[in-house]
Amino acid sequence: MYWVSVFTEAGIFAILALGLDMVWGWGGDFDLAFYGYLALGSYMTFVLTIGRPTPPVEYILGWHLPVLLAVPIAVVVVVAFAAVIGSIALRNLREIYFAVLTLAAVSALYIWVENYTQLFDGYNGVYGLINPGQTTLRLTYNGYRIVLLGVVLVILLLAYLLVQRISRSPYGRMLRSVREDERAAAAYGRKIFTAKFRTYLFGAAIAGLAGGLFAIFVSAFNPSAWTPQELLVIYAAILVGGRGNPRGVIVGVFVVYVGLIELTRFLPSPASRPDFSPALRQVLIGLMIILMLKFRPEGIFRERPGRDEPGKPARPAIRQFRTRVAAATSRAARVSGSPLGSAPDEGGAG
Amino acid sequence: MTTSLLEISELTKTFGGVRAVNNCTFAVPEGQVVGLIGPNGAGKSTVVDLVSGFGRPDSGTIMFAGEQLVGKSPDVISRLGLIRTFQTPREWRNLSVMDNVMLARRRFDNEGLWQCMIRARAIRREEESDRAAVREILERFQLTELKNELASRLSGGQKRLLEFARIAAAEPRLIILDEPMGGVNPVLGTRIGDAVGQFAGDGRTVIVVEHNLPFIEKTCDQVVVMDLGEVIAQGPFAGLRDNPRVVEAYLGMDLGHG
Repeated sequence: MYWVSVFTEAGIFAILALGLDMVWGWGGDFDLAFYGYLALGSYMTFVLTIGRPTPPVEYILGWHLPVLLAVPIAVVVVVAFAAVIGSIALRNLREIYFAVLTLAAVSALYIWVENYTQLFDGYNGVYGLINPGQTTLRLTYNGYRIVLLGVVLVILLLAYLLVQRISRSPYGRMLRSVREDERAAAAYGRKIFTAKFRTYLFGAAIAGLAGGLFAIFVSAFNPSAWTPQELLVIYAAILVGGRGNPRGVIVGVFVVYVGLIELTRFLPSPASRPDFSPALRQVLIGLMIILMLKFRPEGIFRERPGRDEPGKPARPAIRQFRTRVAAATSRAARVSGSPLGSAPDEGGAG
Repeated sequence: MTTSLLEISELTKTFGGVRAVNNCTFAVPEGQVVGLIGPNGAGKSTVVDLVSGFGRPDSGTIMFAGEQLVGKSPDVISRLGLIRTFQTPREWRNLSVMDNVMLARRRFDNEGLWQCMIRARAIRREEESDRAAVREILERFQLTELKNELASRLSGGQKRLLEFARIAAAEPRLIILDEPMGGVNPVLGTRIGDAVGQFAGDGRTVIVVEHNLPFIEKTCDQVVVMDLGEVIAQGPFAGLRDNPRVVEAYLGMDLGHG
């Protein structure tokens, strides 16, 4: 069951990373507020599903919606929040200035959530979303966790297919041109802010969805669950897998999470130093980022440049079949002399 | 007499205390190649920035095909049919040469986020005709072999050619070239001259900002001379040699080989 948990968590972070890669990998904006969107998505999913708070616990809403309805609403809230941040940060701020503003935004959100207890019960956080749907589906606890893993992986697959489709589309190409040279992109008619803003909202929506799944996965959420360091691990994963390549991003998350974080759990930990193992993990992540940047800065899978494969039609198999059928019918018509082949150039001769 | 495609009147722009462009007025007739010359600091590049929306004038008007350009952003101006270059080729480095030119085709209708999610396959089919056109353009600028390479891998000269391939793909009404001959060898220079000639042959209007006077003499129908933010002369290149203000601005420089 341990590995089921590990893979579920990695799957959720892979979904998150797909969204972040659109913003950073394709759009070029180093967003430090992104983990806040996952957190907000989680919080909203909780307060929309777990019902009225019992004093002294307090939080907003306290509705009792089904999860399938709560997660989409949470996504809408996250997108609205991201729209506020994005409309300020994306207008004129780039690179380090953009990063600083988004860091400030997420810090403000963090401090607000932690101290304004009426919102999400401050430091204690919200809890009580325990395996929603387990009784309806008549599953055992373990069975439920496996099904949840399956659901996460299916959503990851769907998210991947969608993101990959956008990545290879004219939209992905346009967004990357904005990343590469904004002035040149504007000189060729691209609306810079609109492109970046739309991408930002789309990325935030994915983060909100990941947040909803995370809520179901962890069943309790408080400020210690979303410290800013978590986001750096996601950035490391994107860097390792291949910035700008959706497949690489997913591989990167699994490599970093499963390979590094989880495997270091099995390292011997001196009894006198219980913090040795987590500290070592941080060091290893730092080391990995440095080594990747030194030896393979494009990541495991490099961003796929738009290639032009000559003579390759959209659906070659079907087209070849069609031309072969057409050739065969006209040959048959010529041989038999019958009006079967109704091609205009042959009709008159027959 | 042809009508003017671009009319700049009483344009002024100051940076701090410096009057980079001072009460600048000139017109560019449709279909002509017009050189914009003047010593360093004359305000040529500032005029280019103001016309293309990368700067906002303090006063004055810029009319392009009946539209007021002052106050419009670069993307809007570009969509009206004006493409400008920069002093250095600004290729999209980590995109392929093919993508660079495909982007210059500017099929904005197919670049919507929802469009690309829902109509991905249809869009790819619609792009086929653009791909064919782009292949032809790449052939013309001898970039076919390099079409799948990243633009960052090209040499300086090839980047200049890519710049011209992008302009050809964009099919603009007005082209503004900001120092197209910077760092270009003579062989490539000839080819760039040919490209400018071809744009003119296709009926496009071209403004060339350039220090290379033989190039200006060869390619331009007429020349606008600027100095210290002001237009000091306008007319065919041949007549400028006798203009005392031009000679003074270019003191010590050889104005052609006459």
